[in-house]
Amino acid sequence: MTVPVVEMLDVTKEFHGNPAIRNVSFDLRPGEIHSLLGENGAGKSTLTKMIAGVHEPTKGQVQYLGKPVSFSSPQEALENGIAMVFQETNLVPSLTVAQNLELGNEKLLNRLRGLYISAQQFLQSLSFEVDPTALVSQLGAAQKQMVEIARAVRHNARVIIFDEPTATLTPEEKHHFFNLVERLKNDGVSIIFISHALEEALNISDRITILRDGMHVITDDASNFDRDTIIQHMVGRNLTDELYGKDKVKRQTRPLGKRVLSVQNLSMGSMVRNTSFSVFEGQVTGVFGLIGSGRTETFKIVAGVNKRNLFHGGEVRLDGKPVRYRVPRQAILDGIVYVTEDRKIEGFFETKSIAENIYSGLIGADLNQKSVVSYSEMAALAKTWTDRLNVKAIDNKSKVIELSGGNQQKVVLAKALVQKPKLIILDEPTRGVDVGAIAEIHELIHELATSGLPVVVISSYLPEILSLSDRILVSRQGRIVEEFSIDDATEERIMYAAVH
Amino acid sequence: MVKLLGQEIGGKRVKHSMISRIFDNLLGRGSAAVTVPPMDGALKPNNQLENLQPGIPAAQVDDIVEWKGEPLWSDGATLVSRSGVQAELPSVITALAALDDTLVVATLDDGLILLGGDYQRAEIAWATPITNVTAISVDQSGVILFCTGSQTNAPNEWRRDLMETNQSGMIGRANPKTGEVRILAKNLRYPSGIATTASGSIVYSEAWASHIVEMSADGSNAQIIFDEIPGYPGRLCRQENGTFWLSVFAPRNPLIEFVLREPAYRKAMLQEVAPEFWIAPHFYSGRYFNEPMQGGALKQMGILKPWAPTRSYGLVIELSSTFIPLRSFHSRTGGSRHGITSALQSGNTLWMACRGNGEILEMQLVEKGKAL
Repeated sequence: MTVPVVEMLDVTKEFHGNPAIRNVSFDLRPGEIHSLLGENGAGKSTLTKMIAGVHEPTKGQVQYLGKPVSFSSPQEALENGIAMVFQETNLVPSLTVAQNLELGNEKLLNRLRGLYISAQQFLQSLSFEVDPTALVSQLGAAQKQMVEIARAVRHNARVIIFDEPTATLTPEEKHHFFNLVERLKNDGVSIIFISHALEEALNISDRITILRDGMHVITDDASNFDRDTIIQHMVGRNLTDELYGKDKVKRQTRPLGKRVLSVQNLSMGSMVRNTSFSVFEGQVTGVFGLIGSGRTETFKIVAGVNKRNLFHGGEVRLDGKPVRYRVPRQAILDGIVYVTEDRKIEGFFETKSIAENIYSGLIGADLNQKSVVSYSEMAALAKTWTDRLNVKAIDNKSKVIELSGGNQQKVVLAKALVQKPKLIILDEPTRGVDVGAIAEIHELIHELATSGLPVVVISSYLPEILSLSDRILVSRQGRIVEEFSIDDATEERIMYAAVH
Repeated sequence: MVKLLGQEIGGKRVKHSMISRIFDNLLGRGSAAVTVPPMDGALKPNNQLENLQPGIPAAQVDDIVEWKGEPLWSDGATLVSRSGVQAELPSVITALAALDDTLVVATLDDGLILLGGDYQRAEIAWATPITNVTAISVDQSGVILFCTGSQTNAPNEWRRDLMETNQSGMIGRANPKTGEVRILAKNLRYPSGIATTASGSIVYSEAWASHIVEMSADGSNAQIIFDEIPGYPGRLCRQENGTFWLSVFAPRNPLIEFVLREPAYRKAMLQEVAPEFWIAPHFYSGRYFNEPMQGGALKQMGILKPWAPTRSYGLVIELSSTFIPLRSFHSRTGGSRHGITSALQSGNTLWMACRGNGEILEMQLVEKGKAL
């Protein structure tokens, strides 16, 4: 029997006492493509990061070529032949493509011309159309991804881990990518492929492993799976259909209300470029775009977090009146509430309690009844909202950092909703949230829109956009480039608009 | 604090000052912003006007009205129905409305006149002359409501009026029984469409302000009910079910908005350049090679990508009884059904006066959301 290239035996990884991976065993055979599938937060990235030297397991053992190993850094793993292409690119933006490719392999004396020529030849051999002399900061998301992939291949790795490699690639680039993966496989390279695109995993893989809630569910030959069985294993029950509406009675589109927000020719550096769109009351406006498409930045301008260009930066009109905010509090006073995509940094005070966090929202909107902090008001408010949003915690004095992702997000939502918004912008509202909480948050979003509130949902997850939105805006290169009514929208059409 | 002047913060408007105007002009924002509202939601562009069958030729078509159970339209100085020319008046017709068996007509030279069932002019002496009429409607009591676009420019000089940024329009009511004329609102920015609501209030479009205003029948309590129209709104036509058809006769674009903020440039342009070549909106464009360019020659993947500003466009909007857009029909930059000056729904048919292409368009309406 062949010795697996990588073998993980009963591995557990805990963060602050919370297990992200629990007793998982996994093996990767020589020259195989092994897909790792699971919902967001299932532990796919954590598992592979333990192979690539980013994390060390709390319990269990990782073996590489039959020997126990413990890499202290990704660099050490790379030197031993394990490369990982991350979801978020790890390139140095101020260096050129060629310099990034050579990073970690530099000679004592480097000749730029030679570097560029060899990089050019190498990129051409991979059929990647990227200029080796271009600065990485000037590349689009897809091209950055290509450079990351090229970098992994360049280091002659024996194991390459691709974490969502195709999310930002165009169909043509995907075609090149899959050809490349086949070539690597034929050269004996073992590949771990993490993807949300189930069809891609089914087509390309030899074997598939599915994780759920940090635990191993199944490993089997790809030919023994189909899309439905994968989904069932991923979510444990047919939750995807419940959430994203395959079997659900088709939802009626809510009628278009009054225009509440009108963004006209808005510009901010190279991130937001002359973009125009509207948001209407009583509807969920979904905003989809790839990473770097400027969707978050656009709405951060609306919410007063970012500043538009000083000269000819365009206009934001709320209820027909031009508004320009220096700080988010002014936007909150006008009823614009932005719920961040990065709740740990921008969403809550992690050392404060649930009650204090929710009450801080009230203070921010000048809606607290007394001019001094009222603990009775705080407690009553926290009780109301934790009951309404079903926040699961020991009590309302628990610190937010101690809660699960889903409950943290509910606290952030409660903090936003106490501000009595006239317009609510939810940026990645279910990122890092468990599936049960996703259903509850979706229900809340539908309730808010049905009650007449204009709701904006920014999401990278197409099924979420399709299940929540009444109309869908697609952002690309700093601009809203397409609008779909929910009746016209399909995943393919939205993705096509986002990348072309 | 200076940069906040003129903006709306916390529901309170920070007052404009000279300093804020200077900053606005310098930074191109606030009152000096040259932005145009987006066409999205119910105004999302389509090509439905362009896809219609060829219409009835009418080179100078302007207004359309239902009279004696069939559509009747003005074509220059003539009144035309599907069966042909019905009457010829001495002067160009600028607006039409039906008042039972009487046809209310506005002309360039004679102002507001009444025509009997046989198209003979009825004697009526208005208390004050009514001229430069751009739109007419009749309220439930049989009183005529009219829009005077401008005190200084006739309706066929609307482009000049826009370029002069005049604000001399009026809304009035004229009683055909007594000849009494009463002005309800004045100093308006080119009112060009008028209708009454089910509750008896008056709604009118103010073209140069790109909004629709509702006021009481006596002219009080005026308030904007539909703002930020991405073009110049024209005539309004109310349906039996309480919805309205709004004709938007020309588009707004950032270049024209910019020109409108440059008085010296406009003055020179009006004096020295022939009207056809002004940087101004129009019912049509692209007929002369030396016009300001539109849809300039960039073709990618078989689609014309306009990079030069659009001077003409075709747009009709259906508005709910509360003036929320329900749906819209478009003829885009590359099309020809531009300059829709009037729309009338008769049964399931929408009749539209397309001045840009000189034709009467006929569209079979289906339930909203279904393909035509």
